[in-house]
Amino acid sequence: MIDIRELTKTYGGEDAVRDVTFTAAPGRVTGLLGLNGSGKSTTLRILLGLCRPTRGAALIDGQRYRDLKRPLREVGAVLEQGLSHPGQTGRAHLVSQALLSGTSRARVDDLLEYVGLAADAHKRTGEYSLGMRQRLAVATALLGEPPVLVLDEPANGLDPSGMAWLRALLRDHAATGGTVLISSHLLSELELMVDDVVIIGDGRIRVAAPLASLAGMTTLRVRGGDQQALAEAFLARGASVDTDGRVLLVAGLTPEQAGDIALRLQVPIYELVAERQHLEDVFLEATS
Amino acid sequence: MIAVLRSELHRSFTIRSSWISLAGFTTLAALTGWLSEEFWMLFAGVGAFGIAVMLTAQHYQHRTIILTFLGQPHRLRVLAVQCLVAILFALLLAAVSGIAVAWSGFGRQYVTTLAVIPLIAVFGVANATVVRRPLWLLAGYLGWLLFAEGLIGQLQEPLPFTSFLLAAAGQPRFQLALLAWTAASLPVAAWFIRRDLAGA
Repeated sequence: MIDIRELTKTYGGEDAVRDVTFTAAPGRVTGLLGLNGSGKSTTLRILLGLCRPTRGAALIDGQRYRDLKRPLREVGAVLEQGLSHPGQTGRAHLVSQALLSGTSRARVDDLLEYVGLAADAHKRTGEYSLGMRQRLAVATALLGEPPVLVLDEPANGLDPSGMAWLRALLRDHAATGGTVLISSHLLSELELMVDDVVIIGDGRIRVAAPLASLAGMTTLRVRGGDQQALAEAFLARGASVDTDGRVLLVAGLTPEQAGDIALRLQVPIYELVAERQHLEDVFLEATS
Repeated sequence: MIAVLRSELHRSFTIRSSWISLAGFTTLAALTGWLSEEFWMLFAGVGAFGIAVMLTAQHYQHRTIILTFLGQPHRLRVLAVQCLVAILFALLLAAVSGIAVAWSGFGRQYVTTLAVIPLIAVFGVANATVVRRPLWLLAGYLGWLLFAEGLIGQLQEPLPFTSFLLAAAGQPRFQLALLAWTAASLPVAAWFIRRDLAGA
């Protein structure tokens, strides 16, 4: 469980994050969304003990990162699009990390296979593509088999198959009871993998809720023979109705309910489209 | 601590630039040893300082220090390990490069140099923890050595590299001066290592 409580970080009198509060629960993938400079990375860095908060707390299973007994066995992190020395081979990098986390070398080879880098294990990481460095970073995070994963923009540089691989990996991790906190600006990708959404803007939390409760809402586009009558009937059923001058934009009704109302009114329907609200719509609304 | 030490040693021994730096500084010090034992002592000290700077600063330069801090969040322990690794590399450099000097009948200078090498290595680690950019630091100290300590101080004042040179020659006053420089640099490094690690 990740617990961020009233976190504030001030740089030179400016709040990078202010009173940020949210949780990332075990068994769920939590997406941290925000524009560049919104405070996502600052929040993650404080969580990982790389920056000190001005106020508040960032806890992992009730403890600050620096108080964890075996941090790499408890938390795996992907930061800055893959950290490695360009003069070290991918395998040597993982062995150095394995020694740090107390993991066996056999796991290094298993992970190189798992992330698809076995054939390039003896290349220096300076020769790796961005996608390969991201895969190496994910392998580094997984070395200690930690229950908590914290990933800052891990999908950058991954090709579509890499995206699918990462999505499956994180979903599997959550399915086995792990906690995943991931920040990304690739909203359509995140929509496919997160359970909970935290939107941060100008250093403050704008939205923190399950994705299902945010992106599941639909708006109906309705065009009928008598727009006025339809609008009044929809309003009478408690729906909210707006119009762009050509169609009615109806929220609060299912397509079946709207169709039944039109049938009762004997008003012909020429267009009835249910438009699902996507994460991008939620994000833009929250950050605008 | 042991896990961090093993990891740092492995990292240092598997990074090509570490080996190139070690080989380069060792060769330079060994070659100067043919000129005189004083030259060897000076260049063994400069080499020890240089390798300590390279090993420490490249961690910050490539931001892999973040991985180390994630594994060992208590940063003073990381600093202690970096000092140990630098001492080991510096001793290796001095021991190998000075074989010819020791063989030529300067065994006492060889031993006193090896005895004070750890101090200049720790001084290098402390400096690199503060400045974090190896080229700035090495270029800056090269200029310092030539102008401040060489031309102005005539290699007689208790400044860092002069102190090392004369400490290696067995002068107790300069051994104390070198100890003081190293001791003074460590609290500064301990303060700087606590700095936030912001984004790249």
